[in-house]
Amino acid sequence: MTFTARSDRHYIRSIYRSNRFVLAEIDAPPARRERARPPVHLAFVIDRSGSMAGDKIRLAKLAVEESLARLHDDDRFAIVVYDEVIDVVFPSTRATPDARRSALARLGEIDARGSTNLGEGWLRGCEQVALELSAEGVNRTLLLTDGLANVGITDRDELARHAAGLRARGVSTTTFGVGEDFDEVLLQAMADAGGGHFYYIANAAAIRDYVTSEVGETLEIVARGVTLQVTGPDGIEVESLSPYPTQAFGGRTVVTLGDLVAEQRLQVVLRLNFPYGEIGRETGALFSLSDRDDVLDGAPVKLGWEYADDRTNDLQARDRDVDRAVARIFAARARQEAIGRNRSGDYQGAKEALSSVARRIRDYAGRDAQLREIVAELDLESDQMAAPMAELSRKQAFFASANMARMRTYDGKATKGPQTGSR
Amino acid sequence: MPTENQYSLQDLADLADVSPRTIRYYVAQGLLPSPGQVGPGAHYTDGHLARLRLIRRLQREHLPLAEIRTQLSKLDDETIAALVDAEAPAPPDSSALDYVRSVLGGPGVAGRPAIRGESLVPPASRALAMPLAHAQVSRLAEPEPTTTAEASPPYVVGRIELPAEPPPPTSTTPEPAAQRSQWDRIALTSDIELNIRRPLSRQQNKRVERLIAIARELLEEDPS
Repeated sequence: MTFTARSDRHYIRSIYRSNRFVLAEIDAPPARRERARPPVHLAFVIDRSGSMAGDKIRLAKLAVEESLARLHDDDRFAIVVYDEVIDVVFPSTRATPDARRSALARLGEIDARGSTNLGEGWLRGCEQVALELSAEGVNRTLLLTDGLANVGITDRDELARHAAGLRARGVSTTTFGVGEDFDEVLLQAMADAGGGHFYYIANAAAIRDYVTSEVGETLEIVARGVTLQVTGPDGIEVESLSPYPTQAFGGRTVVTLGDLVAEQRLQVVLRLNFPYGEIGRETGALFSLSDRDDVLDGAPVKLGWEYADDRTNDLQARDRDVDRAVARIFAARARQEAIGRNRSGDYQGAKEALSSVARRIRDYAGRDAQLREIVAELDLESDQMAAPMAELSRKQAFFASANMARMRTYDGKATKGPQTGSR
Repeated sequence: MPTENQYSLQDLADLADVSPRTIRYYVAQGLLPSPGQVGPGAHYTDGHLARLRLIRRLQREHLPLAEIRTQLSKLDDETIAALVDAEAPAPPDSSALDYVRSVLGGPGVAGRPAIRGESLVPPASRALAMPLAHAQVSRLAEPEPTTTAEASPPYVVGRIELPAEPPPPTSTTPEPAAQRSQWDRIALTSDIELNIRRPLSRQQNKRVERLIAIARELLEEDPS
């Protein structure tokens, strides 16, 4: 594996508080041999409310069938379906051929009906996984829905808080939203807090692809519970612009990155805010990785900065790769804001959210072709956002920008290194 | 935790925000253990870093060095590390199963308040804040990990619209009145603007340019 960290600029201002950006890049190690992977424990939680009738429920069942085919005898799985009633179709069981066959037979009898108790359906899935946690493997609940939580716990923050609570106790959550009637902010928040992923599935035909790809990722995980730690002098404030939970403990900031799959390339953008300092003085911060099982062995990286006068600051060289990563993150954040404004009818605000970020990037883009392309895209989108958009387009745009902020591919898959998508 | 980090004198100085000379002084004063080896080959450990940061923190609270030395001599490396930068949160004391079941039990179930009120504060620092009341373990964790429901923070919405034509300059005008003046509006961010009546003297122009650079630096979100 490799771990690098670099800053956009070396010099910092002496009598103002400077912001400098750090791009940390992690290339996860390759997969262990297939037989050697630790057993996983997965719960499939499927919305069976009336709106799922037809293709959606049929394809969701197929997705479960294909996912089960990828499990080994030592893995475990459970299946839960819900409308306003929660039905544990198949309680947690070892994935023997017999168990898989009878699970599919029972799943075959399920049809769509009723309303949506998303919260309890999901929690029942987590309960099945929690019954027997795989000590070394991944324990995850996969929630597939096409609707809004309208029975039981429906509050976004409460559901996200429970997802975080379960993640801290070893059960992660991945969410799939199908069609245009679900709440992507809820599903994204549950996945972020729950240490899994959120997928938007515009067309039911793609349900199988997304579910099996996510199951494939959980089987490929090579490092669990990865955190990036930044240690520096007390005055430096560290913030992660990449959307990962961050906590500060005294002089140490811990960014929780989650699980890494084999050969995954993960980029994390941090903003460091420096205190004042005398010209010529040097300061620094140490960036290090750790994970639950101590499998990542990258050496910590120390970055140094130097206080300098304004002229030196203004003329200094910039690391364009860092600039580009920063610009992409700000563009992604602006898109998410613009989509929210567009949905609430604030079209001018949506346009402005994009064009103001475009302006700021243009200020430092210079002749850099990639940065100028980001600006051009934002300008184009700001016009689209200035008018009412179809819900489907909004969801698509939300998903694409959420993936961009997380350095995943446009359709939500882990980016594999080295150098994928960054040059 | 991964293997212990090792630092050169300069690295240690950068990370703790002190000069190499100060570090040598602390070693000579017995506040820091000796690195074992002297000269350029000397290397320091996380224990040194933690101790050094605690010293700096206590100094900021105006504790005399002699007092700091007495306090430090009572503490072992682990205690100091816990005081200075507590590690990632200790594992929660309830299992995932207990957690789900208490939530599913619904409000009023005995287990539920325990989870809501649960704290991620590492037990070590909770206990250690007592013997060394001066050492503030600042910015400890929120009770529950916060979630990033929406990636971007809400932007400031309230915005004072300037009149299309800025107000005419008031009576106190040191500039010769004969000169035609004009207001320039400079957007510092999407929400903050600066109004300047031009022309300005060369000197003033330079200062305004500096002002804009400083303001942008202060307000910037992107690199400028």
